[in-house]
Amino acid sequence: MRPFDYLAPQSVEDAVAALAENGAKARALAGGTDLLVDLKHETATADLLVDLTRIAECKGIEETDDGLRFGSLVSHTEIMDSELVRRHAPSMIDAARTIGAVQTRNLGTLGGNLVTCVPSLDSGPVLVALDAEVTVAGPDGRRRMTLIEFFVGPRKTALQAGEILVDIVIPRANLGKPCSFRKFGLRKGQALALVNAAASLSLTDGKIAAPRIALGAVAPTVIRAEKAEALLDGRAPDATLIAEAADMAVIEAKPIDDFRASAAYRCELIRALTRRVLDEATEQAAG
Amino acid sequence: MDVTITVNGKTRGADVPPETTLLTLLRSNLGLTGAKLGCDVGDCGACTVLVDGEPVNACLMLAAQADGREVLTIEGLSDFQKLSPLQEMFELFSSFQCGFCAPGMIISAKALLDKNPTPTVADVREALSGNLCRCTGYTKIIDAVMEVAARGGATAERA
Repeated sequence: MRPFDYLAPQSVEDAVAALAENGAKARALAGGTDLLVDLKHETATADLLVDLTRIAECKGIEETDDGLRFGSLVSHTEIMDSELVRRHAPSMIDAARTIGAVQTRNLGTLGGNLVTCVPSLDSGPVLVALDAEVTVAGPDGRRRMTLIEFFVGPRKTALQAGEILVDIVIPRANLGKPCSFRKFGLRKGQALALVNAAASLSLTDGKIAAPRIALGAVAPTVIRAEKAEALLDGRAPDATLIAEAADMAVIEAKPIDDFRASAAYRCELIRALTRRVLDEATEQAAG
Repeated sequence: MDVTITVNGKTRGADVPPETTLLTLLRSNLGLTGAKLGCDVGDCGACTVLVDGEPVNACLMLAAQADGREVLTIEGLSDFQKLSPLQEMFELFSSFQCGFCAPGMIISAKALLDKNPTPTVADVREALSGNLCRCTGYTKIIDAVMEVAARGGATAERA
């Protein structure tokens, strides 16, 4: 790697100040599983790395008044091992365990996964399906937004110069909400998703309430299949309805051809995975 | 910058440039060449070491990020008189051909057995999915780990 300077601030404010002061040549470092690779390949450059990993505020998983809070530095392994996550949002564990391999799950962070913002990021769909919100901090203070607003495009988030991601919160109302995640990759280990999908919903008097369908690797960023959700809302789930919603999700997605799969193949995966996560979420809801 | 780590039970320090990875610190500065430089981007697992008990790719961690932490490398598993149970079983099963992946495989297997002394074959495959063997000797590697587990597993493992 080309030489760079290094700072390891202990607080969000100090990190933000260092990033703001040094402009575009400074990069925030968390688990390093993306940024260090980019620096080695020289697809990214940095004169200064601001290492966030010593910031206590960005660590840990806890239940707060708002809901389930993940510090942005929480590793994928910490999510897999968390009793709180198991109780309140177990589909987060299903997603985390499909990421990379043991070593990269120990290093890689939830925040890093979201900030890198590749279309196939595996921690996105479940969090979007559970209406997660994020806190970002910058030179002008802090702001909250929904995760879906945070995702702007491939490798592009709503983070402005000098801003970092502080935490991710699943709102209290959605703790324990039935939710299912599925990913299809070309291998079990260390494979990027060809398509990943999450669905969450509740059942009220046998009718679907608050349905969410979130799809990854099928558009420039994680998307919600809102027309498919509208089809489901307020109706009793059955195989025909779920198949209709899956067909609608295919129409809403914009998958591309690439070296991993054709768009046509991805469309079939969207149909199959959407149906499967809806079936599973419905089963959970029916208890 | 000054970096101090506890490696294989001993406190070691070095003055290194910030872009130094933990792997470079171990191999070039501290003379611990057991962890290997393979892909250098976190795919192959040849550089796997334990940091605070967890397996990580030493090529993807800056030395500065390891400052103050505890690192275990393959050199820390045995005292050069007697092999550790994993090392012994990998030898007995002829688990390696070229051996380049061996230190990483053994460290990943140790991390598994420390957490789960009675793994299933599926657990072993999952635990080793971040370690690539280009000689394709996976079956004998998995057999060796299962045998260590059957004989008492992690409790017999040093360090």
